[in-house]
Order: sequence, then C-alpha cells, then structure tokens
Amino acid sequence: MNLFRSGEHIQRWLAGREPGATIPVEKLSELAHAWWEDRLSPRWRPHTADSNQAILDRLGLTGDFWRLPSS
Amino acid sequence: MNEDDLELRNLTYARFVELGRAPTAAEMAVAADRDRAEVLAGWQRLHAEHALVLDLATGDITMANPFSGVATAYRVQAGGRWWYGNCAWDAFGICAALHQEGRIETYCPDCGQSIEIAVRNQHPDDASLLFHCLVPAARWWDDIVFT
Repeated sequence: MNLFRSGEHIQRWLAGREPGATIPVEKLSELAHAWWEDRLSPRWRPHTADSNQAILDRLGLTGDFWRLPSS
Repeated sequence: MNEDDLELRNLTYARFVELGRAPTAAEMAVAADRDRAEVLAGWQRLHAEHALVLDLATGDITMANPFSGVATAYRVQAGGRWWYGNCAWDAFGICAALHQEGRIETYCPDCGQSIEIAVRNQHPDDASLLFHCLVPAARWWDDIVFT
C-alpha cells in the first residue's frame, strides 16, 4: 500500500505483476480518516466487516477488489 | 472481544500514544496492573482478532494500526511527535486517529524520489500523488505485513 508520483511510476514498479487498485491521494486521505478516526476513542469497539464495507462503499470503492471477507 | 481484552487494547493504544512508540509487555503490566504473562496472553488474543499485530517470535507489538511499532518508509509528524505508519493508508490514518494535522515523509517506491505531504483539514496538499494497493481486500489479512 504505497504512494507513487504517477501512474507511469506504478506501472514500472509493478514490472509485469498483476496491478491492484489505484486511487488518488485525496481519496486515500478520505478513506483513512473514515477508517481510523475512532481508533483512540475510549468508546472504540471492533469494526464489523459490514461497517468497514460500508465505508468502502460510501467512498465508491466497490467491486471485487474492495470486497472484504465476511467476519 | 471480551471486556478485559478491550480494556487491555485501549490501554495499549493509550500507552503507545503517550510513549510515542510501542509499549513493552513489562510496561503494560505496570500500566494495566496485570502480570506480564496476562498481558502477553491478552495481546495474543488481540492479535488473533486483528486488533494488534505481534511479532510472534518475540511477543512485541509490530503494529497497532495505524501506528507501526517498527521503523518503516512512512514517517509521520503529528501531535508534536514523529511516528511510523505501516503503509501510506496508515500514515494518513495516524493524522486521523490523533485528530491532528500532520506531515508525511516517504519516497516513491519506483524512483526513490522523496515525497512530502502536509495534511490539513484531512486534505493532502499535493493532489497529484496516487495510492496503489496491490492486494485485494479479501486477502489483506492473509499476510498483513506484506499487505
């Protein structure tokens, strides 16, 4: 899960491997804030797979690649 | 996750933030008023539930996501300290978890050129960068260190 300077850099780094998913860094920041914002709360409880999937879905990260395993 | 393990997990995270690094089992035994063996056993259960990631050879904390217990390519300055994130996602996650603006320092894995990002109001100041996730979500926990 890395940051790259451009799509060309990703392609070169992959070196023929099957690509995963690429998203803009703005979307990554949005995802990280939704995913981790409660992590230090004393009221934190484990996220369910459904609640995590809902975060991905809400951000438009859909399709097989972004499908979490059921808990 | 039972209430005892939840309390240990929350204390571990709190101590991580206080120290600016992963606490040891001995430190957590004092903080949680438990035996060291109880801490290690609790951490093992939290590891099994993906609430922490341990180095199974040593019992030390490798990840308390989004924080890393070991040095990585993702350095984050937030809340008056430097931290390590486990990956790009977690680097932003440290700002999110601390509810702080921050600065991320890393490098492009392809060309090695440094990348520095300021995060303000949850937004990176360089929108040109791309995030690549190699492993599909269904397999993230098959090998979380690789992911």
